[in-house]
Amino acid sequence: MLLALMLCYGGFTALCLSMDRHHTELLGHKPSVRRRHSLKIAGWILLALSLWAAVSKTGWSLGLVEWSAVLMLSALVLVLLLPYRPRLALSLAGLSLLASPVAAFA
Amino acid sequence: MKDGFRQAMAWLHTWTGLIFGWLLFAIFLTGTLAYFKDEISHWMQPEIPARSVSSEASLALAQDYLQQHAPGASRWLIDLPSAREPGLSVRWQQLPAKQGERGQFTEKRLDPQTGTEVQGRETRGGEFFYRFHFQLQMPYPWGRWLSTIAAMVMFIGLITGIITHKKIFKDFFTFRPRKGQRSWLDGHNAVGVLVLPFHLMITYSSLVIFMSMVMPASILASYKGDVRAFFDDVFPASSVPELAGKPGQLAPMAPLLERAREQWSGGRVQRLTVNNPGDANASVVLVRDGADRVVHDVSSAVTFNGVTGQLLSSTPQQPVAMAIAGSFYGLHMGRFASPVVRWLYFIFGLASTALIGTGLVIWLGKRQLKHAKSAVMPFELRLVEVLNIASMSGLTVAVAAFFWANRLLPVEMTNRSDWEVNSFFIVWGLSVIHAMVRRGRSAWVEQLALAAFLFCAVPLLNALTTPYHLGTTLPQGDWMMAGFDLACLVSGLFLAWAAWKMQRSGQVPVATRQRAKPITLEREAN
Amino acid sequence: MKVKTRSLPVSYRLAVTSRVLAAVVGGYVVAALASVSLTMWLPMPRAEAVVTGMMTSFLVYLCAVLWCFACRSAWQAWLGVIVPSGVLAALSGVAYWLGQS
Repeated sequence: MLLALMLCYGGFTALCLSMDRHHTELLGHKPSVRRRHSLKIAGWILLALSLWAAVSKTGWSLGLVEWSAVLMLSALVLVLLLPYRPRLALSLAGLSLLASPVAAFA
Repeated sequence: MKDGFRQAMAWLHTWTGLIFGWLLFAIFLTGTLAYFKDEISHWMQPEIPARSVSSEASLALAQDYLQQHAPGASRWLIDLPSAREPGLSVRWQQLPAKQGERGQFTEKRLDPQTGTEVQGRETRGGEFFYRFHFQLQMPYPWGRWLSTIAAMVMFIGLITGIITHKKIFKDFFTFRPRKGQRSWLDGHNAVGVLVLPFHLMITYSSLVIFMSMVMPASILASYKGDVRAFFDDVFPASSVPELAGKPGQLAPMAPLLERAREQWSGGRVQRLTVNNPGDANASVVLVRDGADRVVHDVSSAVTFNGVTGQLLSSTPQQPVAMAIAGSFYGLHMGRFASPVVRWLYFIFGLASTALIGTGLVIWLGKRQLKHAKSAVMPFELRLVEVLNIASMSGLTVAVAAFFWANRLLPVEMTNRSDWEVNSFFIVWGLSVIHAMVRRGRSAWVEQLALAAFLFCAVPLLNALTTPYHLGTTLPQGDWMMAGFDLACLVSGLFLAWAAWKMQRSGQVPVATRQRAKPITLEREAN
Repeated sequence: MKVKTRSLPVSYRLAVTSRVLAAVVGGYVVAALASVSLTMWLPMPRAEAVVTGMMTSFLVYLCAVLWCFACRSAWQAWLGVIVPSGVLAALSGVAYWLGQS
């Protein structure tokens, strides 16, 4: 479940950054069209990967439940961190993505 | 016309949210607590030890006990210990005096290691919150009707909320704190949208759970009024073989556990029901543990003849419609949840509760701004304010009072479990009176502060009244007991923070407060 | 629907009450009839059809309630509830009669 959580969180952060308003808040400037597209695609891919991570371990019924739970939790954590600790929010995303391959093969 | 639609939905959202909000807050808060009802019960009966023993051994002890104490009963029920409920409990039902009546039930808790009766202090424990959240302390069936109606209103509230929230995707990640009413609305939207799958699931599943009661038309039409036949079709294991009239010796039941497990390819037995134990046609129904899987399978039961051990019926393949209904049931109950997932259920339940609470606060706050200059609030707004305070902070004080009553009321006192429940309602009632006589902000601060104190002091109270306090439970690794104490402490700290914020916002100069832009739902819809 | 006057006119209050009645009572009737129709017409064993009908009825109730407040007048609200009820009742009746013969 930890892997799914990390991938979800990373995915949501990417989707968040793909929005002009949040990209400006967090990184200081508006994203280029290309960056916006790649962030959007990356975000959705990460979310899809997290679904795969959740379901492959525990089967579809429990996996779907865990995936929805992880989806909601990561979204809550991100949205809560953004206004108070934006840099922590971003670094957590980076860390999650770095740690994911480790969690996947552990 | 589109805007007219959104405005109409906003109006509906606002008014359904207000009228049912107070009740829904109570339902969701107690329901959320119910996810830990076993742990709460354990804390409230600390004398009963949590010992894990094999199912076979416990079953043998239970059978011996029942053979000794209830040989003539018409039905035995045995609940085997599990990870969360380590107790072994037996119940038996006498033959009803009159045909068609329910026989009298007797319940005993047994020590799973020795088979002797265990006496914990009399208490409803976590079951109180569980039962309250759908029965509302009202006589059967009125409470269930009211809570199901509330669930339908919640469903309407959720859908109208989604329709009204125009920038649901644009504002997905938006939360702007420290901006007064704007922040409350952002918070309401965030907690609503980000946890939406849970809100929708819990609300719709609660409708499905009581659908036979509230929407019986199709049963009556299809079964021509024979409701019994419908339930026999859905719960095939509930039909009892005819009394033979001849006496029969009940065989040891412990080996049946393994045979049931074979039927289910694994899995655990949670409960056994023995029908007519002294009879030659005695039947033993083994019901599978709900924690085994997500989808609740009501037909997942195996029936054996109690004397010969012959397999009478086993789990048929669950039809799709029943599997869907079972999924709703299983997801709502969350019996399958591991400790981590259970905590997530708890967090999301709190999110639903917060969704309702923030909505109530916004409803009042928006209208209060219009009357900020005048000293007296119009009656309707004052009514809403009192109900807001009593149903939210008042309820939390009442929950704390329930736990305090458990530790303070003498163990030997008669009807002490009733008096624990009475304490809950008395304190809740007092909070209404308090909210009526005190000014809005003071009432909030005082009640939140009181709740904070009561919750923070629970571990201390525990230490002063029992030997099962953090000093002993932490080193022993008794996480059920320690977890409860720690959760109360954390809740108390959160409530203290809330009280402090409430106090501070009252000290902000009036000029600044006026400048906070009033946000209207109608403008949001545009 | 939003009226800015100090106290709302009686006609407004009557209209709202009417819509509420149509939604609560009428909506329930539509939902119940929908569940009966579904149950009668679904090609499944009886118990499954009943369960399916009951589970979907709440969605019908939702739509009825939303209609009652989204439409332009209280009269339209009642129309939007009575007409489907009639149709569904007829459908159920046909199924029942077919089942009898």
